[in-house]
Amino acid sequence: MGMKHFSNTKEALAWIGELFEENPDNIKPDTPREKVAAWDSLGMLTLMSKLDEEFSIILEEDKAAELKKVGDLLDVLRVHGCLD
Amino acid sequence: MRFVFVDEILALEPGRSIRAVKTVKADEELFKDHFPGFPVVPGVLLTEMMAQAAGKCLDAERNPRGKAMLARIVSASFRDWVGPNEQAVINAEIKTSQPKYATADCYVEVRNKKVCSAELLFAFLPMERLAPGYIDEVLESYLNRQK
Repeated sequence: MGMKHFSNTKEALAWIGELFEENPDNIKPDTPREKVAAWDSLGMLTLMSKLDEEFSIILEEDKAAELKKVGDLLDVLRVHGCLD
Repeated sequence: MRFVFVDEILALEPGRSIRAVKTVKADEELFKDHFPGFPVVPGVLLTEMMAQAAGKCLDAERNPRGKAMLARIVSASFRDWVGPNEQAVINAEIKTSQPKYATADCYVEVRNKKVCSAELLFAFLPMERLAPGYIDEVLESYLNRQK
């Protein structure tokens, strides 16, 4: 099965919203991590495992800790060629 | 009742897959409540069977990251009832495994029919947090039989 790929930012934001069980309207590139309730330590593990499963992205713990806002996560997807 | 939801491991490839069995006996008190006149194994216990089996599969790697602990039920579905004294055959396949997390696809069969499935996320607890001398008797029993 091929890896997931987003052709635009809207699709990626929808995926992030679903991942953190957050209303998509509340997920914008400049949304800080602390405004996403489920982006806690368990949410971080969930994020790391989903990046691994769906995109083959292994995000180390220290790099994951550096994510401060939704846009930082979009950058991770872009750097790995998973978001146009 | 003891909180041991794997009776025996049938097959194990450490860190990759496991097949195990569990039978909840008819004399367990829980069946008085779940449910009167219609005793069935609770879905939470079927989920626990899958979590314990997948956890043993990860623990069998003897990885220094520690003991696998269920962190999240990503998804779970229940398709059929499991009654008292019915043998549940538990299957788990590890999908991802990294120092901080692992994920597993699991399902339970009864009479060769899939009765439930789950996707589970695990975190790891340092072994020193557990009681000194702690061992997983079911896992050790299986590993000793393989020697």
